[in-house]
Amino acid sequence: MLPTEPAVLAPAMTDKTPSRPSTRAETARTFPRTWGEPVALVGALVVLGITFTILNPRFGTLTNLQNILDQSALPLIIGVGATLVILLGSIDLSVEGVMGASGMTFVLLSANSRGGPDLGILAFVAAIAVGTALGAVSGTIYTKVKVPSFIVTLGMWFVGLGIATVLFGTETIPSLTNDELSTWSSQLTFGLPNAFLLAAVVVIGGAALLRFTRLGRVILSIGNNELIARGNGVSVDRFKIFVFIIAGALSGLAGAIASIQLGSGSATVGVGLLFVTIPAVVIGGTSLGGGKGGVLRTALGVILLTVLNNGLILAGVSPNYQSAVSGAILVAAIVAAAWSQRDRLRIAK
Amino acid sequence: MTGDDQDRPTHAPVLKLTDIRKSFGSVHAVVGISLEIARNEVVGLVGENGAGKSTLIKILTGIYQPDGGSIEVDGKVVRFRGPRDAVASGIGVVHQEQSLFTNLSVAENIEMNAVTERGSAVRFGFYRWGRLNKNAAASLARIGSQLNPKTRVGDLPFVDRQMVEIARAIRVEQHRITAPLVILDEPTSLLERTETAVLEREIGKLKDFGSVIFVSHRLDEVMRICDRIIVMRHGKVVADRRSDHVTEDELFKLMVGRESHAVKRDHPVDDGSLVPVFEATNLTRNGKYRDVSFSVLPGRLTAIIGATGSGRESLARAIFGAEATDGGTMSIGGVAVHSWSVTKAVAAGVGYVPAERKVEGMVGALSAAENITLTHPGRAARGPILVPHNRARIAQEWFETLDVRPNDSSLELDRFSGGNQQKVVMAKWLNSPNLKVLVLDHPLRGLDPGASQTVNEHIRTVCAEGAAVILLADTLEEALDIGDDIIVMRDGEVSARFNVAVDNPSTLDLLEGMV
Repeated sequence: MLPTEPAVLAPAMTDKTPSRPSTRAETARTFPRTWGEPVALVGALVVLGITFTILNPRFGTLTNLQNILDQSALPLIIGVGATLVILLGSIDLSVEGVMGASGMTFVLLSANSRGGPDLGILAFVAAIAVGTALGAVSGTIYTKVKVPSFIVTLGMWFVGLGIATVLFGTETIPSLTNDELSTWSSQLTFGLPNAFLLAAVVVIGGAALLRFTRLGRVILSIGNNELIARGNGVSVDRFKIFVFIIAGALSGLAGAIASIQLGSGSATVGVGLLFVTIPAVVIGGTSLGGGKGGVLRTALGVILLTVLNNGLILAGVSPNYQSAVSGAILVAAIVAAAWSQRDRLRIAK
Repeated sequence: MTGDDQDRPTHAPVLKLTDIRKSFGSVHAVVGISLEIARNEVVGLVGENGAGKSTLIKILTGIYQPDGGSIEVDGKVVRFRGPRDAVASGIGVVHQEQSLFTNLSVAENIEMNAVTERGSAVRFGFYRWGRLNKNAAASLARIGSQLNPKTRVGDLPFVDRQMVEIARAIRVEQHRITAPLVILDEPTSLLERTETAVLEREIGKLKDFGSVIFVSHRLDEVMRICDRIIVMRHGKVVADRRSDHVTEDELFKLMVGRESHAVKRDHPVDDGSLVPVFEATNLTRNGKYRDVSFSVLPGRLTAIIGATGSGRESLARAIFGAEATDGGTMSIGGVAVHSWSVTKAVAAGVGYVPAERKVEGMVGALSAAENITLTHPGRAARGPILVPHNRARIAQEWFETLDVRPNDSSLELDRFSGGNQQKVVMAKWLNSPNLKVLVLDHPLRGLDPGASQTVNEHIRTVCAEGAAVILLADTLEEALDIGDDIIVMRDGEVSARFNVAVDNPSTLDLLEGMV
């Protein structure tokens, strides 16, 4: 081995390091990396809005905009839970099943055509409790038995549907008989639909949780690197179960609201929501790998997809094609969102 | 044993270990370790891979629980049930592999494992960002760093991240009145030379208010930085010396148990008759490097050196087809390459040992034997059908040639130590029947001196068999030690070239091209 160079050299060399070009480039990239995607989404939203207004002037009317907000309420509520779970690096597919079980619970415990008890506001609590319980079961199996969340929640989806079917039984369809309740969700307060206002509260709550609470920051750290989180003494399992409970509770709430909107109890009250929510999370810029993204971004994604679906109907796209068209646009949007991160050695699973 | 040939510190030690033992099944990782660390002392901990250093550090940081023996902090016996207990006792650690959350801010990382306490930044589960940033800034100021606590860690260059790790490690001092003990587990093995100087200054600052255990494979560095050096071998402390009472050669002998054998070697002569096996002409990648031209003759080793931002990593990946180029041409064995990709590169006989071994170089969940025969199955496969028996035999041959330990190629690769993993990754390419160009990206990173010598010998064997080797060296000494040609890069351009046999450059000559 050769003798080392004199230590006097060191300071002279380090003096040069601050002007390294790589450091400067790093700083310059900060703006687009943080704000680029949301700005692009807002841009896309504006372009879609203009296009659909040209195709059908009815798109831009106040009634239709209120309609869009009303339609976005459920995916927004579900989207908050889905974002938190995905930020962990996990996934919750049980949404539609949990909504079925909790929605049916809600209808049977409210004033309905079958009679039975009318618990009023407590029916809401019961619906959320059902969602919470199912979320807790998913989270516990996922963390303690170490089964991938994908499989656990896929199973829980059908467990939820099963519970709803059993509750439904063999009698007639239970429909809500309290008119005040049935119209609550679409009634306007300050010009905005009630359901949307509720969803907005959930979104703001979710964003605040992510920004200002230890739970929120721990979610981000687990998603970034679970091993390091464990090494820092974070009780990873406990936090994960808690996140699944939040997601389950939000699915429960969504199940109740969906039942109100439908006006009757149905096991399939949540059908189609998973297909809107997960893409909305991804389009919003939350990474499926975890650790990167946020609730407000998901809200943008939800609005974008709702506008898309609404606009396609108003633009006169035949219902026969609509599903294929919205699917294709979805794939295109996700490709666009992921374009900046492509790399030869990047691995997608 | 030479443990009592130096002056013991007179005041109560910050840390005292008595007869610490830890076994994993039949493997005795740590066998009766006793040592003391005094206040304001920097103690070097050296030993080969597998000597038990990592196990000892995991015991000190609460990740492992010892089977026997006692740990005393400030004269009081303590028992660590988890990482939090170690932090609460004032022991902070900078891990070998960076352990920061890249998606969070500097301040959050520093405060992440701060125990909830009076004046803490988290109250009832809510973050108080102002206090969080203030606490973190205080820790950073303590080590003389001016980093903005609000910066996202992912946006920081490597050396600054290391500062964040150190700030987090010393954050433990807020948990007790006495001085903190900071364990630096090979912090320099990933740092460039210039950045190491910054780290050395930080260690000097740490010494003013705390104690440091410094783990490193670079013996010269340990001698320069540490007051005292503890040598471990086979899970035991074999020597405990003041650093001014020991030489580098002695340390090497104590660690490895044999003499360092510096091999004098002949540089293969370039008499103009050889055809370059690899040639790059005006290779350019926008924003990374431009107009890089060089050729490598068969049997010769070209070392590329440069500081962070020199673009050499990007260049190495381009040769292996893992990154696109924006201009220029490459040829392998005289044949120009087009629309280069990893698949084509492998088929053309290019091998690549990446710096990020764990991420890019190996499949940890597969056995070592499967890893060796992954790219070029050779006799281990007949067409698409694998022949496990042949695979095991090929792997066994490599295990013996490269002295991989433990000598069991059916073990999952994850379970080997870093140095032995690197040998297996090398073997994967050496097993190639038509290896023409071998690109080595920091092949000695994190290896102990003994393992480094073995790996270097095999790099030379590859050369001798006629392959061209392109090496991104960790240190200037490594480049001079093993290179036939040295290319110095600065800010994406070739700033100097040396033919080692003809020009006989010194480290100073090399540095001049780098800065």
